[in-house]
Amino acid sequence: MAAKSVPVMLSDVTKIFRDPKTKAEVHAVENANFDVKPGELVTLLGPSGCGKTTTLRMIGGFELPTRGKILIGDSDVTFLPPNVRQTATVFQSYGLFPHMDVFDNVAYGLKIRKLSQDEIKNRVNAVLDLVGLSELAHRAPGRLSGGQQQRVALARSLVVEPQVLLLDEPLSNLDALLREQMRVEIRRIQKSLGITAIYVTHDRIEAMSLSDRVIVMRDGRIQQVGTPGDIYEYPVSMFVAGFVGKVAFFPARLEGIEDDGRTALCTVGGRKVRAGSVAGNLGAGARAVVMARPESLRLVGREDAIATGMVTARVYLGSSVEIYVKTEAGEILVQIDDPSGKILPSEGETVWIGFDEKLVRALPAD
Amino acid sequence: MFTKKKLIMFAVVCAIFAVGEFWIFSTLQNTFEKNSIKEMTSLIKAMTSSAPQNDEDLAHWSEELSAIYPDNRFFVIKGVPGEEGSENIGGDSALFDIWKLPANATIAENAAESVSYLEVFRWPAKVSFLGVPYTLMVAPVPDEEDSSARATLLVAIDASGYVAFGKLVQSLAVVAFLLFSLGFGIATFSRDPISGYAILVLAAIVIAFVAYPLIEAVRLTLVKEGRFSFDVWKTILSNRQYLQALWGSIQLGIVTATLSTFIGFMYAFAVARTSMRGKRLVTGLATMPVISPPFSLTLSIILLFGKNGIITKQLLGLQNFNIYGLGGLALVQTISMFPIAFLTMQGVLQAIDSTLEDASLDLNASRWHTFAHVTLPLAAPGLLSSWLLVFTNSLADFANPLLLSGSYRVLSVESYIEVTGMGRLNNGAALSLLLLLPTLTAFLVQRRWVSKKSFVVVTGKPSTRLSDLASPGARRALTGFVAVVSGFIVALYATIVAGCFVKNWGIDYTFTLANIGEALARGKQALLSTITLAGIATPIAGILSMVAAFILVRKKFLGKRILESLIMTPFAIPGTLLGISFILAFNKPPLLLVGTGAILVINYVIRELPVGVEGGVAALRQIDPSIEEAASDLGADQATIFRTIILPLIRPAFISSMSYTFVRSMTAVSAIIFLISARWYHITIQIYNFSENLRFGLASVLSTMLIIIVLAVFGLMRLLVRQSEFLEKTVTTQ
Ligand SMILES: Nc1ncnc2c1ncn2[C@@H]1O[C@H](COP(=O)(O)OP(=O)(O)OP(=O)(O)O)[C@@H](O)[C@H]1O
Ligand SMILES: [Mg+2]
Repeated sequence: MAAKSVPVMLSDVTKIFRDPKTKAEVHAVENANFDVKPGELVTLLGPSGCGKTTTLRMIGGFELPTRGKILIGDSDVTFLPPNVRQTATVFQSYGLFPHMDVFDNVAYGLKIRKLSQDEIKNRVNAVLDLVGLSELAHRAPGRLSGGQQQRVALARSLVVEPQVLLLDEPLSNLDALLREQMRVEIRRIQKSLGITAIYVTHDRIEAMSLSDRVIVMRDGRIQQVGTPGDIYEYPVSMFVAGFVGKVAFFPARLEGIEDDGRTALCTVGGRKVRAGSVAGNLGAGARAVVMARPESLRLVGREDAIATGMVTARVYLGSSVEIYVKTEAGEILVQIDDPSGKILPSEGETVWIGFDEKLVRALPAD
Repeated sequence: MFTKKKLIMFAVVCAIFAVGEFWIFSTLQNTFEKNSIKEMTSLIKAMTSSAPQNDEDLAHWSEELSAIYPDNRFFVIKGVPGEEGSENIGGDSALFDIWKLPANATIAENAAESVSYLEVFRWPAKVSFLGVPYTLMVAPVPDEEDSSARATLLVAIDASGYVAFGKLVQSLAVVAFLLFSLGFGIATFSRDPISGYAILVLAAIVIAFVAYPLIEAVRLTLVKEGRFSFDVWKTILSNRQYLQALWGSIQLGIVTATLSTFIGFMYAFAVARTSMRGKRLVTGLATMPVISPPFSLTLSIILLFGKNGIITKQLLGLQNFNIYGLGGLALVQTISMFPIAFLTMQGVLQAIDSTLEDASLDLNASRWHTFAHVTLPLAAPGLLSSWLLVFTNSLADFANPLLLSGSYRVLSVESYIEVTGMGRLNNGAALSLLLLLPTLTAFLVQRRWVSKKSFVVVTGKPSTRLSDLASPGARRALTGFVAVVSGFIVALYATIVAGCFVKNWGIDYTFTLANIGEALARGKQALLSTITLAGIATPIAGILSMVAAFILVRKKFLGKRILESLIMTPFAIPGTLLGISFILAFNKPPLLLVGTGAILVINYVIRELPVGVEGGVAALRQIDPSIEEAASDLGADQATIFRTIILPLIRPAFISSMSYTFVRSMTAVSAIIFLISARWYHITIQIYNFSENLRFGLASVLSTMLIIIVLAVFGLMRLLVRQSEFLEKTVTTQ
């Protein structure tokens, strides 16, 4: 169905909003540089107000960059209006046409392209099948559930065979179960059509489970670009580490980096630690932290402990157990896999925490 | 967007356009000049050949010429000036003064030479006397043998027409260049040229038909004989009669506003806050005066209380009762305008959070105490705002005082009399501008004070269950009051209908159908042209107001605030002022429209645009912008989005704007009374003429017809809007 997949590239894109009255400036996006490969699904992930929507809207043509260039395929589209770009957007609020039924909503883009009646019918029916809405073709959008509306919006964008699909928190209005289903569905459709897609979300699980690569943003600036695995295991900053997953930070001093260029020698609480990896921008002698994900933490004897504290909660999850420990460095979550048969501490008990050195990472302290 | 290539292309194309335009402009000017020189030369030949044979008679010749050609000036010289024996004979010596100026010595020499060769000489530069430009010609009067000049005639020919033509062509060329470069600029640089053009067109419309006429009106009051002067204003402000009219308007406004606010509040309270029955009927009846045509209520007041009124003469037998004047005016204006106060107050009373009142009642306060200490203070800003609204309306009212003021003076009628009766356009303009003063003051008070002081507690949704604040006794009194006023309204309309079928009201009450035939025969042309022009104005105003609303809500551009204010201006200014401004601006080129149907259509559109725009803006604000963005994303350009998305979604606003325009155009008076012509007459003016000539039967028939048309249009609108109500719901719940 889709035409040849195309790449998207942003170079030094900046967007500054200026309040016409107070003249106050909001730097919504600053010097965004990234590219999306053909057929790739990339998520923009970040907390509220970090500029994700603005970035997406510039790619869609709804907002003009203050500076910078946007390329789709080989062509510079920076100043093109949305109606001549080969992008299709699924809006957070869907933006369905309330005076048209589902069929006409989906057919709208095809009618604009002046296709024949027959072709419109065929293509609309095909895409409604794809999203599983054939039954509801003649309903008014006002009488659809949130998930159905969302699928109409998706179908309406897909039917025009865009080169780039832009999705702005499309699942935020849905309940958890539906969200999961739709996530799988969107990924399946995007992959099968080979459309380049950019997906905005502030939900890290959504970002991790959906995308080829993730772009983490904060205050208008891109923090890190990488695969979900990279971002999770090798974050470049405490912010990224904390934003994409549960993590414990231990204040540390970086003593040096070993010859392999990866292993970092640190002191954590007077104890020498060889952290499995180190953020690139960290030099010897720097104030640092050692980050550990719950699965690299474990309960140890007093002599091997990095931290100690009291268990505040124990959550049984079947294949693992989460133990929440209140320590001097804040609350730390320790994940214990294959709990069956192990002796687990109970609430109120004092425990000692250690970590698997190979799995922890040294990061610059904020 | 601005790239070097585009900028260069833009500059080149504009330059080519400018050059082409200059070429056309100068060709036109040259041709015109050549023709006018030809004309002048033959005119002068005719003059010189009429010269008296006797040299003695030459003394009177210039006077004779001045008598025949009053616009021109003459000076006669015997012989050829500068040569021997020449002698100034007489005429306008100012001409010779120019000849004698040392700076003009060479020109004068050339002129004398031409004359001695018996050729007409044209002075190269225009000369001006008392601010009027002239072409100066020097012509020989040949002797009998046609061999030499026995006299020389200096002629100054009025060139103001010629100069005006030049200026007109020049300004047209400038306007054409501006429009072209703006339009081409938008096409080259804009991402959204269609909206750009729409903005350009709207701006052109409001500049030409709002700003320009108003500026002309103000200008006229500030010039005297081509010079800046405050004379007009001095006259106006020192003349007793005019000041009386100003005071009269204000007095009437105060009385009407006070009465209307009182009645309106009673109505609103009865409808919003008591369990009175028949609320819908009462509301429906109260809206009748707002939509009914002008003169109809006045007419019925005259039929009831006039010299031959059925109540005053037949029932009470009063001989010298005089309804004309402040009393009658206040009565008819109150009936016509209290609904404004009613509707405003109803909104306010419904928006008051009744939990406040309930709390007061719970604290064992009496109903009266609650009303006086909770409800009334909360409603106070609303009361003031109603009062100001009615006050403004009363001042702008023209139709009622026109028929009913008698010897009482009000500004709107006074300015009409100045213009049409006395032909003093400048005084008329000044008087109608004066009318703006109290109106603007009221508007500012409203803006600055009322909106700030407003402490109506609006809870978002109107409180569903409002407590009945009236005790049974109070409710009965209130119901009685409302019933009496409503009964009076019914009686007024019944009187008009009755008037249709009576032979000669006040004298001979025999039943007759003759009025209908005669009124139709004599009013047919007016009715047809009124319907035609209103019909033309309706879709134009409808589309234009929706486009304007769309642009004002959704687009960002330079000068948006100014455009918005200009669009909204006609709403705030009295019709009289707009009408006078229109005749001032459009009885001359470049927009010579007086006497055409177009000027009426334009007037309708301009006057009704603000209301339509306001409705459109309110409707658009309800629509999630992402709906339009989605359409644009799917490939629709702005025009397509407007047609396929916006218009269907704001259909209710569109329809009501159109029906409103139609009805208001059918019932217009104050502005169009200045603009109608024999060909394009208006039905309301016809009603006025019938009433003035005491043909009340005919006036009643036309009024009744208009009322029926108005009701039918509103009924149709209701029907159409209701059909699309489901739309509004889905839009807002999205
Ligand atoms: N039209 C606008 N005018 C002024 N400021 C704006 C405008 N649109 C966005 N902003 C500001 O730009 C910043 C980035 O906004 P944006 O909508 O891109 O955030 P976001 O990452 O999408 O947030 P969320 O997750 O809450 O949707 C915010 O501070 C916001 O207030
Ligand atoms: Mg957002």
